[in-house]
Amino acid sequence: MVISRTVVDEATESAEYDLPKYNTGELPGIGHLKMIMDPVRQYFPVKVTIKSKIEALERVTDLPSREVERGPNNANALNPAITPPPSSATFIPLQTNSTSHFTPAITKRREENPSLLSDQTHEASTMDPPVPERSSIPSGENSVWADASPLLAAACGDLEDGQLIHGDNFNLFAAMSALEIMDPKMDSGIVCKYYSVEEAIEDGAAPLPISCDKTVDVRCTIDIVDHLLSCEATWHKGHSLSQTVFSCIYLLRPERTSSHALLHSFCRVIRATCKAVISVVSDARTHEEEDLFTMNYGLPLNGDGDDKCLSMLNAVEETISRQLRACKAPSSLKRRVLEDTEPLQTNIDMEEGYCKALLCRLRFRKHFYHVLTCLRRPQGRGLELARKHIASCIMELESILSSSEFLRSSSSEAWEGGVENKTTASGCQPIGFDASLNCRLSAPTPPRAIKILSWKEAIEYFLKLLHDLDIICSYSLDSSLENLLNFVVQFQKSQPDLVARAHLQLLLVQDGKIHGRDPVFAIISRAAALPEATKNHDIQKNEFILQLGQLVINLLKIVCSNSAWQRRKLGKIVQDWRVIYLQLEMAFKKECGDNPSLSNEENASMKIFQHILVWVEEQTYWIASRFLILGFELELYSPSEYCMVYWYLYVVLVKLAEKIHIKMVATNSAGKKRGKKKRDAPKDAAKDYRIPPGVLFLQCQICLAEGLTMMLAALRNEHGILQSRSPFNTEHERFIQHFELLQKASIPDHMSYPSFKESTSYACFSNLLMYNYFKDAQRIAKEVKSSFSNEPDKLAELKRLEQVAEHNSIALNVICRVGTLDPSLKVSFEFNHHPYFATAVVKRS
Amino acid sequence: MEATKKTEEEGNENAEKVVEEEEFSASEIEYVSYGGEHHLPLIMGLVDSELSEPYSIFTYRYFVYLWPQLSFLAFHRGKCVGTVVCKMGEHRNTFRGYIAMLVVIKPYRGKGIATELVTRSIQVMMESGCEEVTLEAEVTNKGALALYGRLGFVRAKRLFRYYLNGVDAFRLKLLFPSPMSQSSLPIVADTDGSHWHNDHIPIEECSEVR
Repeated sequence: MVISRTVVDEATESAEYDLPKYNTGELPGIGHLKMIMDPVRQYFPVKVTIKSKIEALERVTDLPSREVERGPNNANALNPAITPPPSSATFIPLQTNSTSHFTPAITKRREENPSLLSDQTHEASTMDPPVPERSSIPSGENSVWADASPLLAAACGDLEDGQLIHGDNFNLFAAMSALEIMDPKMDSGIVCKYYSVEEAIEDGAAPLPISCDKTVDVRCTIDIVDHLLSCEATWHKGHSLSQTVFSCIYLLRPERTSSHALLHSFCRVIRATCKAVISVVSDARTHEEEDLFTMNYGLPLNGDGDDKCLSMLNAVEETISRQLRACKAPSSLKRRVLEDTEPLQTNIDMEEGYCKALLCRLRFRKHFYHVLTCLRRPQGRGLELARKHIASCIMELESILSSSEFLRSSSSEAWEGGVENKTTASGCQPIGFDASLNCRLSAPTPPRAIKILSWKEAIEYFLKLLHDLDIICSYSLDSSLENLLNFVVQFQKSQPDLVARAHLQLLLVQDGKIHGRDPVFAIISRAAALPEATKNHDIQKNEFILQLGQLVINLLKIVCSNSAWQRRKLGKIVQDWRVIYLQLEMAFKKECGDNPSLSNEENASMKIFQHILVWVEEQTYWIASRFLILGFELELYSPSEYCMVYWYLYVVLVKLAEKIHIKMVATNSAGKKRGKKKRDAPKDAAKDYRIPPGVLFLQCQICLAEGLTMMLAALRNEHGILQSRSPFNTEHERFIQHFELLQKASIPDHMSYPSFKESTSYACFSNLLMYNYFKDAQRIAKEVKSSFSNEPDKLAELKRLEQVAEHNSIALNVICRVGTLDPSLKVSFEFNHHPYFATAVVKRS
Repeated sequence: MEATKKTEEEGNENAEKVVEEEEFSASEIEYVSYGGEHHLPLIMGLVDSELSEPYSIFTYRYFVYLWPQLSFLAFHRGKCVGTVVCKMGEHRNTFRGYIAMLVVIKPYRGKGIATELVTRSIQVMMESGCEEVTLEAEVTNKGALALYGRLGFVRAKRLFRYYLNGVDAFRLKLLFPSPMSQSSLPIVADTDGSHWHNDHIPIEECSEVR
């Protein structure tokens, strides 16, 4: 291997040495390596990328056990899930001798490169003869081990300030991943208090029993359980498992707690719960979010008997229930009861309080574990039971909350400040936690202290999680695709966290089927309102139809992800939908278009294709509108860009309404032709001539979008506000940037910046008054309400739309009346009535 | 990579004295292009003090050795008060600039120093044929977002929990007009606001060597 001596860009002359490339960070002896480099430059590239670190550690396991046991880092190496990346770098293990002094690095001399060998011996003639005394790795055929340290020293002498020796693969990523050893900001090994869990235990960091005083023991157990809840919530909120829940030393050694039934039962159910949660998140493959969340290498998630955690939990629960009954029994009975029931702890006055505090915590853990298992039952079969457990969980959480008062009063520690920042109900610091023990396990993160959520915040988190899960349980599996998508959009409004979203996704899509049950094509044919005959039609086998099915599955997974990720993915898949439309259209023309004399069968497939094409377009515009709308939620638009965004939204919504209308008309006429179906003749005949409520609903939003576009444009044209000027580009570039993905997919056709300018550059308030879009929106919202009397979500949405329309209508009038006289009028836009339709706020400055 | 001094400061606001604003006029600030190894400790000192995320010296050298023309320092009476460090290169068939670090020390903020520093870098990027410029900024860093907004950056993406402290980031992008279009560029006066943005260089920026 060759390392050239160069400046970063490798531009200067390079002298070649046969040197090992040290990809090792924390190998035995590496500290000494840095030492010998110091005379040259403190920052000799001891390159320690995370990848290579793992690789190095993998290799360490090949070394004699003396070296393997040296550092706590080896937990990484033991993890089978991590395989070393393929690397061209040759790893040369350092030799350590028994006195652990620095022993020269050994490099492999390659026979196939004799010229290098001669250079080397020439330049470093003092080099000792090769073959170290004890080589742990055989040098292999045609090669021998050689001492490279004099060579290194010689190379160092030639380097100047700022020069760097590096390999070809030393890019920015490598530079960023480099660690400076002994720098507490970078070297995770240096900030630890203990080198191993064993050391911590020996030092008494996690005693068992926690205290010989039974009262103290119970109190401390409750603190541990409370702190674990805070840790668990912190984990769910995006921090690593090893730094949160598994900062608990008791959890890290599953067998150790077996003598302490109470603590043991909690530890078991918590490990089992973590495992269940990891499984749901990794099965859902929620993309980038999952990476950190499911990372669990080196953690004992599979404690022996953890799967039977519930039976143990029940046994402990029963014992404590008995103890509670005993202490509450009237004094006449007490003696008898007490004889066969040993109290939980020694302080009789506190017996009831402690029993109750423990019981609600035990029961919460039990029900929560049940919730997770019920939700995982295939095809939503456990949803009903899950709801019962959710209700129990919420009840127990409330009991846990109210136990706080007792626990605080009984805590011996005098603590200052509110309970707000405390991670336990009692306000006491829990025993047996050390986050630094595992910091080496959180591989891709630099050593950072994590702020654990407070106990109150943790309870709030779990309440929200349970509430979100309850919404999921209320989902009806018989929904159409449209209802399904609406359900998810509605669900996402409360910004559910990862765990809830993962559960929803697994409920919707499992084994490539919707709800783990319905074939995708069945859902598509319902959504596209295909004729009954389609069920057995060959079209299902059409490759584009199969692809379309895959797109639907992808779409469902995407709408379950967090909004930031969701928007990025929607922007990408909108193209896929466009492409599949074009492909289907071509296939359709090929099959039907060429031949004007159609047989019955061909006629059937033509109809199917037509329906599908309309539906694909509708779905494409739905995706485009979600893409635009999510931009508001994610705060991607600045006020000076609102005008173009509403214009685009308006254009997309018009197209969407158009497609839905076409589909509805087609369905109705098809129904009529077949002459069957339950039709109450007089009423429905009239209905056919009316615009369907679903379209009117969209119409209302269209009016708002158009009204806002025109109002913003008029403000710009007549008042010169909300303009965006920048020294480096124009509005045109910003238009391109925001809508690039839609434009690439021609959504909609023939719409680009010039069309936007055309429709907005002449906007003025006098026209806006004559044609008041907001008044229209208001009118439609009022009219259409009655059609949605059974759908509370839609009604609420209509109400919001109506409010926006009303406020903007007033604002428009104010601007028109006062605006011309008072040039200092200030207009701003707020989202106080609706998440993405802004309300104008007019103020005099 | 990421978590900011700002959040740390907010944590113990009480313990901190209010930093008095330095009195000076804009003409006293001297802007200098990166001039060699003697500037490196100044840049490292500023970035280290303002951003909690440690960068190894390799990271700094990577930028200043390959693109010295994109790095600038601001001095006030001999004292280095601000700096910008950037790169440019091919990225997915686009030649683009990337603003890696921008720092102005607290007493000197709000005086347009950051705007001036970053404008100089962008200018060089544009003249060097970049099609666009990108960077990331914390969603909570209102100052930086306003600064880049005035320069014409749009928020192209939101990056979920981008920083280790759990905060999201925006990917900001500035698209230069393509040489084809003939739109004239309005020049806007630099009104105020110099801020820094703390930023965590994403892996995708690292894929290219130059």
